[in-house]
Amino acid sequence: MDTSELKTTIDMAMLELDETQVASLEGAVGQMLEYFALMSGIDVEGVEPTTHALVTANRLRPDSPRTDVDPDSLLENAPDLEDRLVAIPNVL
Amino acid sequence: MYQSFVGLEIHIQLLTQTKVFCNCRANFGDEPNTNVCPVCMGYPGVLPTLNEQAIEMAYTVARALNCDLNPECVFDRKNYFYPDLPKNYQISQFHEPLGRNGYIDLEFHKKKKRIRIHEIHLEEDAGKMIHAGDMSLLDYNRAGTPLLEIVTEPDLEIGEEAEVLLQELRRMVRYLGVCDGNMEQGSMRCDANVSVNTRGAGLGSKVEIKNLNSSRFVRKALSFEIERQQEILERGGTITQETRLWNENRDLTESMRTKESAHDYRYFPEPDLPHFRTSDEFLTRVESRLVELPAARRARFVADYGVTAAQAEFLCDEKSTADYFEAAIAAGAEAETVATWLAGDVRKQLNRHGVELTDSPLTPTRLAELLSLLAAGTIHGKIAKQVLALVFDEDKDPRVIITEQGWEQITDPAEIRAVVDRVLADNPKALGQIQSGDGKPMGFLVGQIMKATNGRAEPRVVQQVLSQAVSVSTIEVYSFGGAIAGHRQEDGLVVPGDLMSLTSLFERDPELPEGIRFEELQLGQFLSEEITPADWATLITRTATSLDRGSSRGIVVGHGTDTLSYTSSLLYWFFADTAVPIVLTASTVPTEAGIRSDAVENLRASVRTAAGEDRGIHVVYGRDDFFALNLKFERSGFTAVPRDSEDAPVADSEGFYAGQFRNWNADGLQRAGRAVAPTGRTMEPAALTQAMEVAIARSHIVKAYPGMRGETLIAIMDAGVKYFVLEIYDTGTANLRESPFSLRRAFAHARDRGVLFFCTSQQEGVVDFSEYVTAHALWREGAIPMGRLTTESAWTRLIAAQVEATAAGDTADDAAFTDRVLSLMED
Amino acid sequence: MWDRILSDARDEYARFLREQDAPTASFLEIGAPPQWSAPVSAEHDDALSASRPSVTFPIAVKDNIAVKGYHLSCGSRMLQDLVSPYDAAAVTRLRHAGAQFVGKTNMDEFGMGSSTDTSALGRTSNPWDTERVAGGSSGGSAAAVAQQLVPVALGSDTGGSIRQPAAFCGVYGLKPTYGTVSRYGLVAYASSLEVVGVLGSDIDHVADTYRAMRGEDAQDHTSVAVPGEALQPAAADAVKTIGVLQGDLGLDESVARNYAATAEALRDLGYNVVPIDLSTLEYVVPAYYTIAAAEASANLARFNGVRYGHRPVFSENPEELMRQARSEAFGDEVKLRIVLGTYVLRSGFQDQYYTRAQKIRTLIRRELDARFGEVDLILSPTFPVQAFRHGDQAMDAFQQKVADRFTGTANLAAIPALTVPSGLEGGLPVGMQLMGPAFSEEKLFAVAGRLATVQPVVFPDGSRSFDEWRTANGAGGGA
Repeated sequence: MDTSELKTTIDMAMLELDETQVASLEGAVGQMLEYFALMSGIDVEGVEPTTHALVTANRLRPDSPRTDVDPDSLLENAPDLEDRLVAIPNVL
Repeated sequence: MYQSFVGLEIHIQLLTQTKVFCNCRANFGDEPNTNVCPVCMGYPGVLPTLNEQAIEMAYTVARALNCDLNPECVFDRKNYFYPDLPKNYQISQFHEPLGRNGYIDLEFHKKKKRIRIHEIHLEEDAGKMIHAGDMSLLDYNRAGTPLLEIVTEPDLEIGEEAEVLLQELRRMVRYLGVCDGNMEQGSMRCDANVSVNTRGAGLGSKVEIKNLNSSRFVRKALSFEIERQQEILERGGTITQETRLWNENRDLTESMRTKESAHDYRYFPEPDLPHFRTSDEFLTRVESRLVELPAARRARFVADYGVTAAQAEFLCDEKSTADYFEAAIAAGAEAETVATWLAGDVRKQLNRHGVELTDSPLTPTRLAELLSLLAAGTIHGKIAKQVLALVFDEDKDPRVIITEQGWEQITDPAEIRAVVDRVLADNPKALGQIQSGDGKPMGFLVGQIMKATNGRAEPRVVQQVLSQAVSVSTIEVYSFGGAIAGHRQEDGLVVPGDLMSLTSLFERDPELPEGIRFEELQLGQFLSEEITPADWATLITRTATSLDRGSSRGIVVGHGTDTLSYTSSLLYWFFADTAVPIVLTASTVPTEAGIRSDAVENLRASVRTAAGEDRGIHVVYGRDDFFALNLKFERSGFTAVPRDSEDAPVADSEGFYAGQFRNWNADGLQRAGRAVAPTGRTMEPAALTQAMEVAIARSHIVKAYPGMRGETLIAIMDAGVKYFVLEIYDTGTANLRESPFSLRRAFAHARDRGVLFFCTSQQEGVVDFSEYVTAHALWREGAIPMGRLTTESAWTRLIAAQVEATAAGDTADDAAFTDRVLSLMED
Repeated sequence: MWDRILSDARDEYARFLREQDAPTASFLEIGAPPQWSAPVSAEHDDALSASRPSVTFPIAVKDNIAVKGYHLSCGSRMLQDLVSPYDAAAVTRLRHAGAQFVGKTNMDEFGMGSSTDTSALGRTSNPWDTERVAGGSSGGSAAAVAQQLVPVALGSDTGGSIRQPAAFCGVYGLKPTYGTVSRYGLVAYASSLEVVGVLGSDIDHVADTYRAMRGEDAQDHTSVAVPGEALQPAAADAVKTIGVLQGDLGLDESVARNYAATAEALRDLGYNVVPIDLSTLEYVVPAYYTIAAAEASANLARFNGVRYGHRPVFSENPEELMRQARSEAFGDEVKLRIVLGTYVLRSGFQDQYYTRAQKIRTLIRRELDARFGEVDLILSPTFPVQAFRHGDQAMDAFQQKVADRFTGTANLAAIPALTVPSGLEGGLPVGMQLMGPAFSEEKLFAVAGRLATVQPVVFPDGSRSFDEWRTANGAGGGA
């Protein structure tokens, strides 16, 4: 992966890295991708991908409301709250 | 020429109890962050579980939109970061959506069009982010609400079509009970893709438009965007593929800069959710959820109940109204009457009380009961309206109200005869007057009889019994200006007059039935070119009163030729359902010493028609009985005939009459039919005058002419005109080629402001936009073809429609008013 | 024994935990006794009613499994302060069975590592040699069991995260069949691969803990019911043939020696031990890491500092907030896997990497299906080396990944695998892995039980059971 592709990918992953970090990541990513290239050694023509192993189809949930966890306890973990709203900075 | 391609991505929120992937209530209007759980807040460790109702509703919509139903539907993760998206991926469908290859059929200004549905998939909604100063605040109540995304092919061409599609889809999902379809509240949302290209060149660069939260914004934004792209292409520019936002305050779309990397959603199969496979049992349940959809129901209503397309559209707009309509019919009411009442008086009461039909005290049974009492003559029209009002006020059965109020009509001729005899005995003078040939006191006597019965006597029976008793029946003759009522002075100028003297000339007409008496009324003393809204209001109120009282055998209106085609068509829109003949007539020559005018002959022929059995609106002129609609007057040579000429009238159509009427597109015209403004005509004169003044001020007639500038029309719109009757060339052409003389700019401006163009032709012919390229362009610009109607008839219908909308109380907002007017302009 | 301790000696036991955990630091959080148990609702599904063993012992839980009231840090700065508002489904079931949850154990950050050294919250060492790692990512759980702090600990296994530290510390480590234990409450790393499992020093405890947790769960739609015939303990003759891998497996000499010895031990116990070949073995690691990274990139996207978790001191707008939160709070290994996962999912690269890996996964499953037509179970090494030293250059992050080939197979194929302690080599434990077809856990337990008669679990010298500790302390004037 060239550096600009790496930077695009870092951006997509919502990360922000300085040049040193990018450089060190570049080495590690390159090593892994090289390793991944081994996969081209096996013929997968006509093979269906496995996205769910052993999972049976058609699990459905009845449409009846239930509260198992107090919503307030979820808000307790929020770094910043305004009344009941989760607040984040947005300087325009 | 350019071609535009519009595709929509419509999101509808499904009306499930719980969210699509967790047990939280799907109520997002509640106190912030109360309907949340670890799953929809994107807590670590939680897993989605698929709501069985959501998937069932989703397949139901796919089925209703004629999609191929995917036997195995798969969920995918759509990856993008946004603070309102708790997991920073949205569970959606990409590779295997649940429905594909569907379609929805639309009807837009009488043209049928099939819009293909590319796919339908189920996904979850995000939370809401509110901006407040230097902060953004997040409410996750909405996060995880089931959303169904419907993606159309780019088969739409203009904003109006998109609006129609959204309205039809809204009706459909409401019928299916899967979504409330409220765009303003966001339960139905729309993004659009627009691409404009040279005709025949296929799709151009795609521009996505977001933030369209009403069907009107969709129309406006699309119109703006098509225009914008067209202008760029005209200048030789190229369209940038981008996302734009609709700015509702500035009425334009604005570029929304986004990073390229933001468009790679990195879809991959959601490992947390198993595939969903449709079983026979599931598909049976989906089938059982399907109801008769709006389009099918409208067609059935027209076919089975004989209502008009416009009525069917009104009745089927909401399933509850359509159900109500059918319930009322099942309860014994007659379809057309129910339709008329629902659209008129019932609607008025609903608006007044601010209630929905289904929540109102007026059950279908009660309405059927009221209408059957009316049909049976137990009560008459005016009382029926009072009973209706009391049903709303007191929540009681009509029969109970009638009994309590003592409103049963007296229909027994014998009972009425007793009252008539008493009234006649008390009024010998009036009786004498009538018997000596003056019909005027007839109205007075009817009034006395009604008074004596507290208004309970059935007007028609009263009329019959009274006519028998005095051996006369009444024809009302209204003098409404024009040469027919005028006199030529010594100096040769014509002055206004009345018809009083004329009737005496033929009251011994041997061709008239015995005992005809005239009640003459001066409704105006003016020249017909001076007619004002107040004059029309007077004529309409007077006619309505007379028809309601049933005191006349017929009505004759003397009128000038100049504006007769307006007044005749106006009367048609107000009184097409009249039970007696209403005859308009005119003359070209005023009565003048020494000259034999056509006035007398025309008036005589009119009275004969009024005394006849052919109910409806007539225009009698010379030897002809014309239709009230589509009347055109063509003046020809002028020949005056000396009064003492022996053979009167001189039967020479070339010469005697100084002009002739003709009906354009006479095939298919009728003298009687459905009234456009049955509620409007019952308004008080002052209110009616005002309603008409406003309506007329808002309505403008423009005739297309070479060199006419679009700016001129814009200036007229700026002056407050909301509706144009545009007289175009032939059956559908006007200048739309880009130049200062193109009407396109004016149309664009009109769309932005919700101004409508109703198109008629300068020639005789049916405007339906089917023949010419420019006609198609006009249709694309949103112009509405008026079919066979002439400019005058279309314009008066427009006035009647506005009066009706005002009377029914549809004045809450401009859009609702215009919708109502639009529906009253269609057949 | 344990039920008495849990009712009568909780404070003393808590003291034991704090004191005895010090050398290895396997716990991130030790709860105060009132925190250990919580009321569970009476209403519960039928799956729990009959034939569930009681599990009345203290359990330590890896810190990526939710226990209400405890932290749920996942060994990350990102979630350092997060307190779980709910219980994982497995935890709920164990509460029903009588278990008490005494604390949360250390782990590699979000399960990404084989040493527990990528934890941002503390260093856990191997009880056999504190210079060495406990393995990972469930290193804290393995160390806590080996240190005799708890009889059983919960872990999670995505590519070997239970079995490898179990081998390093000399305890049992069960990675159940995918879906047999609900993942609800397990912080997701690679959803299609991972499962909640058990580490323990006694195979019966491990088996009972698994039996109490297994079964379909309404909160996890990928969970599956164990077929009726696989629910009962396996008959003595249920396993006849065991396959062993042939050729150069790239093992350290000590591990190779132990592998051969264990195969021999099984033969001595009467099993038919036959050579088998797994041709897809060399594709396991690239396929496994491609899929795991891809799923991780999405699973860890929710950590953005908005609703919970680390938030930067200052940021101007939402995007900056998210970027800074993630950049500041994720460790290098996590960032590497997120970036790698993002890349393999990008349009243009997805077919080449992610989709290809999923197809290879199909081939691996097919090959194992075929092998299980020939043999009942497969014996393999768990890891090519024994516990390595903290910071060992020869076992850098990349080499640790390459070494996942034996364990990763079971995750890709969704089958159960059990690491059994197989004695010591050079004073350090070795563990071998038994793999079976889906739902063959009872067979694994049966073979492990018989193997325990010849290769019993041993504990490191420095460790003490609670009884031993109490006796020693009691003499000093304790309880």
